Amino acid sequence: MPYWNPYLETFPRERMVGIQLERFRQILAHAKSQSPFYRHRYADIDPRDIKTMEDVKRLPLIDKAALRKAQDDKEPFPFGDMLGVTPEEVTTFRQTSGTTGKPVYVPETVESWQWRVEVWCHILWMAGFRETDRVFVSFGYNVYVAFWEGHYAAEKVGCMVVPGGALDTRGRINKILEVKATGLLNTPTYGLHMAEEAEKMGLDPRDMGIQRMLCAGEPLPQATRRKLEDTWAAEVYDHIGGTEPCAWAAMCGQRNGLHIMEPFFLVEILDMETLSRDVEEGEIGVAVVTPLGRRSFPLVRFDTKDLVRKGRPGCTCGRTSMMIDEVVGRTDDLRKIRGVLFTPVSVEEVVRAEFPEIAEYEIVVSRDGIMDRITLKVEPKEEMGEVVMKDMVARLALRVKIKTNLTFIVEPVAPGGLPRYSLKAKRFRDLRDQGGGD
Amino acid sequence: MLPADWSVLRQIKDKIDGIEKLALELKTLGDGVPVIERNVRSILGFTHVLKFGISDMVENEDAQGGPE
Repeated sequence: MPYWNPYLETFPRERMVGIQLERFRQILAHAKSQSPFYRHRYADIDPRDIKTMEDVKRLPLIDKAALRKAQDDKEPFPFGDMLGVTPEEVTTFRQTSGTTGKPVYVPETVESWQWRVEVWCHILWMAGFRETDRVFVSFGYNVYVAFWEGHYAAEKVGCMVVPGGALDTRGRINKILEVKATGLLNTPTYGLHMAEEAEKMGLDPRDMGIQRMLCAGEPLPQATRRKLEDTWAAEVYDHIGGTEPCAWAAMCGQRNGLHIMEPFFLVEILDMETLSRDVEEGEIGVAVVTPLGRRSFPLVRFDTKDLVRKGRPGCTCGRTSMMIDEVVGRTDDLRKIRGVLFTPVSVEEVVRAEFPEIAEYEIVVSRDGIMDRITLKVEPKEEMGEVVMKDMVARLALRVKIKTNLTFIVEPVAPGGLPRYSLKAKRFRDLRDQGGGD
Repeated sequence: MLPADWSVLRQIKDKIDGIEKLALELKTLGDGVPVIERNVRSILGFTHVLKFGISDMVENEDAQGGPE
């Protein structure tokens, strides 16, 4: 069976919107009745009046800052005004990584957790995970939700799940070999790092038996995805989501864009400037997401700040849902440098696609007088001769200039000189507000 | 999706509704008994997912006059 839920996944799209709107009314009514945040925010709105997508668009957006404020020092601790159930019903605590500020605390009940796990069953099934797989999760999951969801969903799918916490990278590689793992869940960065470490151990990752890998936690540009596929000789799948809304789109076996999981979410892709207009196919917009079946932490029109390129409905896999062509980055990371709009993913695409000799990189933006200065630090896989290094630096400077329309100072770093990450990599630093220099 | 599936889908929906009803009855019978209450809570978590994946779709289609 190619589908986890063939009824929903092949349901005619034109009829899907009716289900979504009904669910939207239900979740809005629930939010208003249970959460002081929504009661106040939507005081003048009657959920029964939401009859069309235009009606939906009249509701204000919420974002992470609003969630933080609704939780800050408010009862019931620690979820405050966002809680959509009684505190006694909460069975699971998760939180955001805190990359952009104070973490948001996310409560789940037995019911809402099952809902999240179900979403992930769709993701894993689409990526080809089956009961014959032995899935190694290369993390200590801590309070971060994605790999917990992946773990529980893989169990529900029927895979044998091997948790990989409390091990260093070599320990994990040995465990992958010991259990003959066939599938991996990890961040893209860590997938590359494990391969690098395996090679140092005299192993070829291509021979380690991994058939498929699902990435989480970071953007996965096509160039990086292909590099991972080549490095591991495995199918590598992407998805997009977040702690607050859950994962809301994922790749099928075609690995050509991501399916929005429309039965579970109402996803709007809106223009960056006004956040009010639906973008056209092929245009980049900001994803605004409403999870439609999770009552513990109701989110209505959540501005994810994820930048995606809108695709078209349907796919050769037979699923009817709307697609996104690619994940472009995040509005958080979007910077204006010397008047040019820049997203770090554009550099990653060049480095991963065209410079296999580079193991790691880091972008630092600083101020040089009144001018912005962008330094691209690159760490080669192994020591290079001066001539080879000079040539690589010149080629890279030219390629990123062409790709971004910005001039970079490319600065080589000795092998091992840049940090390695297991969760969210921090390869971009903007120091301009801190007085400039690196 | 094949229209011929609808009669089966309606039967599936009825069974899901039946499981939920039985679970709620069980909860009432075992009121205050942790082994009953907590396990019923888990059952209801799964019926929530099944209703979301199957029953809502059938209900919506029926409300719209049903598939041709």
